[in-house]
Amino acid sequence: MMKSRSVGSGLLLLLVGGVIGYGVGLGLDFVVTGVLNFSGSVAGLFALLASVTAFFFGVYGYRGITRGLVWQVLGTILGGLFVTAIRFLMGLRGTELFGTFFFSEPAWVFGALVGAVSFLFGVGVMDDWVKWARGIDTPEHHEDKPGWEKYLGVSLDHKVIGVQYTITALVLISVGGLFALIFRTELAASQLQFLTTTFKLFNQTGPQIYNALMSLHGMIMIVSILLGISGIINYVVPLLLGAHDMAFPRMNAFAFWVAVPASVLLLMSLILGGFETGWTGYPPLSSRGPVGVQMFFLGVFVAGWSSILGALNVIATVMRMRAKGMTAMRLPILAWASVATSIIALTATQLIGLSFQLVMFQRLFGMGFFDPTKGGNPVLFQHLFWFYSHPAVYVFVLPGLGVISELLPVFVRKPLFGYRWVAMSSLGIALVGFIVWAHHMFTSGMNEYLRVPFMYSTLLVAVPTGVKFFSWVATIWGGKISTPTPMLFVLGAIIVFLMGGLSGPPNATVSVDLHLHDTYFIVGHFHDTIFGGFVFPFFAALYYWFPKATGRRMNEFWGKVHFWLMTPSFLILTFGMMRIGLLGMRRRIADYDPALGFDTTHLILTICGFAIALSVLIFLINFFHSMKHGEKAEGNLWASRSPEWQVPSPMAAHNYEVPFEVVGEPYDYGLPGSKYIEFAPAQGKKH
Amino acid sequence: MTHTEDKKSMLSQGIYIFVYLALLTGLEFFVAVTFKSVVLLVVVALVKAALVVYYYMHVYKLNVDGEGDHDSYEYKSGTNRLGLWLFLISDSFVFGGLMVMRINLLGLTHPNLNQLLGLGVTSVLLVSSFFMNRGETMIKNGDRQGFLNNTLITFVLGFLFLIGVVFVEWRIAAHEGLVASFGDPAKGPVGGVFYMMTGMHAFHVLTGLIFLAIVWLNGRKGLYDQKSYPVEAAAVYWHFVDVVWIFFYPALYLIGTVIV
Ligand code: HEM
Ligand SMILES: [Cu+2]
Repeated sequence: MMKSRSVGSGLLLLLVGGVIGYGVGLGLDFVVTGVLNFSGSVAGLFALLASVTAFFFGVYGYRGITRGLVWQVLGTILGGLFVTAIRFLMGLRGTELFGTFFFSEPAWVFGALVGAVSFLFGVGVMDDWVKWARGIDTPEHHEDKPGWEKYLGVSLDHKVIGVQYTITALVLISVGGLFALIFRTELAASQLQFLTTTFKLFNQTGPQIYNALMSLHGMIMIVSILLGISGIINYVVPLLLGAHDMAFPRMNAFAFWVAVPASVLLLMSLILGGFETGWTGYPPLSSRGPVGVQMFFLGVFVAGWSSILGALNVIATVMRMRAKGMTAMRLPILAWASVATSIIALTATQLIGLSFQLVMFQRLFGMGFFDPTKGGNPVLFQHLFWFYSHPAVYVFVLPGLGVISELLPVFVRKPLFGYRWVAMSSLGIALVGFIVWAHHMFTSGMNEYLRVPFMYSTLLVAVPTGVKFFSWVATIWGGKISTPTPMLFVLGAIIVFLMGGLSGPPNATVSVDLHLHDTYFIVGHFHDTIFGGFVFPFFAALYYWFPKATGRRMNEFWGKVHFWLMTPSFLILTFGMMRIGLLGMRRRIADYDPALGFDTTHLILTICGFAIALSVLIFLINFFHSMKHGEKAEGNLWASRSPEWQVPSPMAAHNYEVPFEVVGEPYDYGLPGSKYIEFAPAQGKKH
Repeated sequence: MTHTEDKKSMLSQGIYIFVYLALLTGLEFFVAVTFKSVVLLVVVALVKAALVVYYYMHVYKLNVDGEGDHDSYEYKSGTNRLGLWLFLISDSFVFGGLMVMRINLLGLTHPNLNQLLGLGVTSVLLVSSFFMNRGETMIKNGDRQGFLNNTLITFVLGFLFLIGVVFVEWRIAAHEGLVASFGDPAKGPVGGVFYMMTGMHAFHVLTGLIFLAIVWLNGRKGLYDQKSYPVEAAAVYWHFVDVVWIFFYPALYLIGTVIV
């Protein structure tokens, strides 16, 4: 039984489960509505849930993630039935009780919530806490079995959790990327080609599916970014600090696992009618759409807890778990950046959760928060939403910028220029980031006198960001540059982020933004910032720390192919977006007028999109192939001063056998005789 | 007055603080029914919150233990304490957001609610905080029975508060037409604001009660005689819920004029 479990049997079961789920859904739908709807939501939903669950059953058996998913499905159904029963007792019958989506909206919302909670109990992250509540003590660490199996169940080891986060982020990036390819293909020429008005899928027409895919692309990518930075932070930061784990290992596991049911909810939203609002979910559109909008809100809300609790953990870890001698001004820049990011994630995330909750309640109970006919105020939603979502863009990029500052000195063999300023600039960006949110609302109809202060506060962000650029340039200046793959991505990140940074101030300038708002110029701007601030540094970090996690390195040649294919395609993509944006191409629409003359540009953009996808595919193959077959790399591959590279790879289960003490500056590369850390004499205490 | 450590002076400090809080609550009510100064109401709420945060939630403890053996119970409790406060900071952004919503949507008006009931539930929650503080002080000094008694009283009072809001106040309000979907362009979405704010707070009271029940049950087994940090955590959380109400009570019952 154990032997036969493999990816192969997983894929087989995926098919079988999908077919069975599809059949069950089709039947249920038929019972309720009386028609066989082959492209309907219910059949699609059951197929999705059954196939994913069956896949993990085939790979892993009934434990860990499989059990979580089974419990989530059961919880969703039971929760939905519970509400349906109550509504039945209240006297509702027939189509009032059920609907196009099988359950009514309140039943779906409650069921989905119960399902998400059930997942957490099913997967087992709550076990220790339940024991504690009953007064039973548990060991501080649980030993993981060696091998890959620990990654599909609950582990408390920050390195395992870091890998879990990273892999999940890569999966989501692939899903979100796939969605982008679909709607990018539709955009390649004017007029509707395949997502036409007669096209039917999940009870949606082609343009509706376009909108749903576009919206979901945005939110899935955001979640994958949040998981990606958590992956890097979780894996690397405790090692940089010399800690044996994060401050709260159980909460760490919880923060990861809660993101899994959240991702399922997001995918469910596509099938249950979709949501056409874009990732911002503004009412009144979001207060009217189908159930999918609710699933989207709930999914984001649940994912938010991952971000909040992860951030809490990072701050506590950096404040309480540092090695001896690691004072604030000797803290690695990545740790500083992680703290700055976490301050935002810890606090502001609550506001997106709240704003989405308010719309959910407005839909469920008729509360009038954003409904003008009841005295509500739709612009209030935008304020609450952007109070998170602007700072959130710094959540995305600060860790990446930290990675740039962390790696650059290694590859130019020179001290990081202006350590203190760089450390403080992360905090500066995070704090200024809290007072700029209304620059997304210049055209919203908010009070006009608010525009100018928000314009200036936004332009102020350029100052701490400029500090970082200044430091990078000065660090590179006169250095002995070598360019293995991680360094290529660091350099790419700097250039791409510069493009994003330069296209920001025009948006921030009220007079210009009145023209630019909601055009492809904005789309080009934020893709530049996000790729420069997250995607490129993320790849750099993966190439750089891969040997630490596996004891092998990724293939250099394919790494370089990845870089040289992705970077030019990406730059053309965003410049093209900015060009047509300036000429008047609106964002978030499935079609455009041929008379605008954008066809050629759009075609080029689509080709670039596919080129980027190809480069990421090359990366993924390289990544998974190198885990087993990569060239061995167990030593200090990059000649780094950082503590994690002073011990052999892969890292031991409880990190450092011997604790170290910080005795010098972290980035004094190339200064003869300078030392960063010193390991304690051998009899050091083991954890 | 500075914070003190021995049992007797800790207990009497708890009493002083309670008396101040009660007087301030009375003052608040008096201001609201007489000259309705918004500034004064805000100041009183801030002072009350500061008293609770400093003396009952002893925020200063965040500052005491610096270096030390990372594996000791003291050091770990310090880390847990930091974690709890970070959580509370995060949570207060939810309540802050609700407050912003309320100010934006209702301005200087408040729903027409039963003032006596409001003062009643507010007092009940305040008294519960007092007993919570006693319970925490006692377990820190090895008095298990005293801790259990006081925690039980806190639990009962908290439960009364919850009943008072959800089963009495909500019913009366709904009966008088203040249902969740009530709202009109002239008055604002009063129903939504009222139920959302009291509901979110009541949800936190409920989780606090669960926390208290767990601590009480485990306390009976003697789990906290030496290692009492979980009691402190439950207490701090409970006081936090009280602090939220210190702001929500005037925001919903006292500030501005009644919407009719
Ligand atoms: C120099 C720094 C920056 C400035 C001055 C700036 C300015 C702006 C402004 C004013 C807008 C709103 C434009 C509109 O909708 O009309 C905007 C949109 C956006 N920016 Fe930036 N930005 C900067 C950096 C960043 C960074 C670092 C990121 C992210 C990683 C980012 C991500 C975004 C996103 C995602 C949007 C679009 C949101 C949406 O409507 O969906 N920006 N930026
Ligand atoms: Cu912004």
